[in-house]
Amino acid sequence: MKCTKQTTAILAFCLLLALSGCGGAQSASVSDSELEASQTETAAGETSFTVTDMTGRDITLDGAATRVVALTASDCEILYAVGAGDTLVGRGEYCDYPDEVASIPTVQSGENTNIEQIIALKPEVVLMSSMAQTEEQVEALSNAGIQVVVSDATDIDGVYTAIELIGSVVGRGDQAEAVIQSMKQAFTDIEAKVPGDGSKTIYFEVSPLEYGLWTAGSGTFMDEMATMLGLKNAFADVEGWAEISQEQVIERNPDYIVTITIYDGQGDTPVEEIMGRQGWQSITAVQNGAVFNADSNEVSRPGPRLADAMESLYGFVYGDGSTGAETAAA
Amino acid sequence: MKTHSLILKLSQYALLLLVTLCTALLCICVGSVNIPAKDTLSVIWDTLSGQPVEENVSGAVIAFVRLPRVLCVALAGASLSLCGCAMQGLLRNPLADGSTLGVSSGASVGAVLAIAFGISVPGVPLAGTMAMAMLFAFLSLMIILALSYRLDASLSTNTIILIGIVFNMFSSSVISLITSFAGDKVKDIVFWTMGSLADSSVTDVWTILGALLIFGTVILRYAKELNAFAIGEDNARNVGVDVKKVKLIVMIAVSALIGVCVSIGGVIGFVGLIIPHMTRMIVGPNHRRLLPATLFSGAIFLMLADLLARIILKPLELHIGVVTSVIGSFVFIFIFYTTRKAK
Repeated sequence: MKCTKQTTAILAFCLLLALSGCGGAQSASVSDSELEASQTETAAGETSFTVTDMTGRDITLDGAATRVVALTASDCEILYAVGAGDTLVGRGEYCDYPDEVASIPTVQSGENTNIEQIIALKPEVVLMSSMAQTEEQVEALSNAGIQVVVSDATDIDGVYTAIELIGSVVGRGDQAEAVIQSMKQAFTDIEAKVPGDGSKTIYFEVSPLEYGLWTAGSGTFMDEMATMLGLKNAFADVEGWAEISQEQVIERNPDYIVTITIYDGQGDTPVEEIMGRQGWQSITAVQNGAVFNADSNEVSRPGPRLADAMESLYGFVYGDGSTGAETAAA
Repeated sequence: MKTHSLILKLSQYALLLLVTLCTALLCICVGSVNIPAKDTLSVIWDTLSGQPVEENVSGAVIAFVRLPRVLCVALAGASLSLCGCAMQGLLRNPLADGSTLGVSSGASVGAVLAIAFGISVPGVPLAGTMAMAMLFAFLSLMIILALSYRLDASLSTNTIILIGIVFNMFSSSVISLITSFAGDKVKDIVFWTMGSLADSSVTDVWTILGALLIFGTVILRYAKELNAFAIGEDNARNVGVDVKKVKLIVMIAVSALIGVCVSIGGVIGFVGLIIPHMTRMIVGPNHRRLLPATLFSGAIFLMLADLLARIILKPLELHIGVVTSVIGSFVFIFIFYTTRKAK
């Protein structure tokens, strides 16, 4: 009984992360799922074409999709980024960006995915991430004549692939390419001006002390961003998302701390809470007030906003104030 | 079977205390970060004697992370074992315990309700969750016992355990239900259910210590009455025990103590079940010896379990409940097997 509860709790936690778009949680399982370019990519609905999704399944569409349900927040963001927000007829309950999505009907996602709800919306395509999908669900949807396209980005290159994939599904290949280019440009610009040599360390706090410390180890977007910022992830030796102990953080003595805790508007802000922790006063980041509350969705969703996340992290670490990074005073 | 004196001798208390202290020391010295024993001891000495602790890694880790955690774990272990022991005596049932009866999960329902509806006492963090956990622990105990009496006045093992299983399942589904409707509190609830003693602060130490001093003393004072219960309720009544009153008071104390432990450290299974058994094998069934001995053995067991949880996968942390349940299951089967075989 206890073990089951334990497992359930952990699963629920993973699910929460997955649903809020933290695709980075899984270690790369689909490494070479390259998007094989569609045959004839024309504007809406003339020729049928085939795309290969990120689990390697071939999907043939009669034409660019005009009715789409996106179960994963990042897919929803990508859809809007490529200018196909008008094709969205249903969204997973955690899709909350951009603000326009609020008017789109929600469907349940993840383990609660409700096939009936989706079918009732009569979409041509359902976008989901690999974590949210079971074989039975996919089969039930395809039996109802709905195509399932799976995105499974575990690194930033994967995000490009996902954008390209979704772009071609809705017939917006050019816009997708433009989004990718602008993301690449943003990352290159930042990398070019980063002075760091990888000697300073950064610690990402995914869940606060009150609930047990979780961090983002190697194979996560945060880890990848740390590298681009010329920093070393203090927990690079840990795989994926993991629960760690306070003493490890104190010993590893990070130079920067980034928390993604969402402030609930009561009591101490996440940054104040970290600054005030007993025993953490010996940590360089706390001494220098180098603690930053990043937007949880920006840094963990495999979508176009990773570039924004990168910019605010750059602003925090190198303090050119370009993003108004909120750095607490000691 | 050797005979035991009625109460523990002073020397026996000293021995138990010594073993407990040594275990605590070991658990403070060993952890996922290696700190030389000499530094550890000097930091412990500074902390306990009220001197300022040096602001370096070893000072911070020992004084603010490990010391509170080990103390909290020890106190929780002592409290849970004492509760288990008192319930087993009261119900004359070797399988009675907060986790098997569903009192702990009942307490969780209270805590989750407090989080979902934002019940809190301004200025005192955790107070809302704790009060609700205590209240629901007591209510659960009442419901479970009332149902059991209705079904089977002799309160046989099977009845109690079956009701416990059903109540446990009921509580889990109520928690799932609350979670489904909790909206933006979902995250808080999920994180709370994963909470553990890993983040214990000095405040938590004082809270559990206070609860143990108050409610533990109450339970210990009823050792004689528990002995009378062990032979049977009628017998207890015949030797002049106010059965209803004693039952009610012990149950209130037990639920309050479990409520405090659950709200701080979450549900930790098997401690209250296994430890009284093992202790009984050593000191005998007399509650005047058993209850105090259980306090110490519970503390020792949980400290060691926590130590394993901290170092087995370092730098990762394992949940303490995983360790207690794995060890607990094996010990339980062993005890069950040997006692059955002896018959």
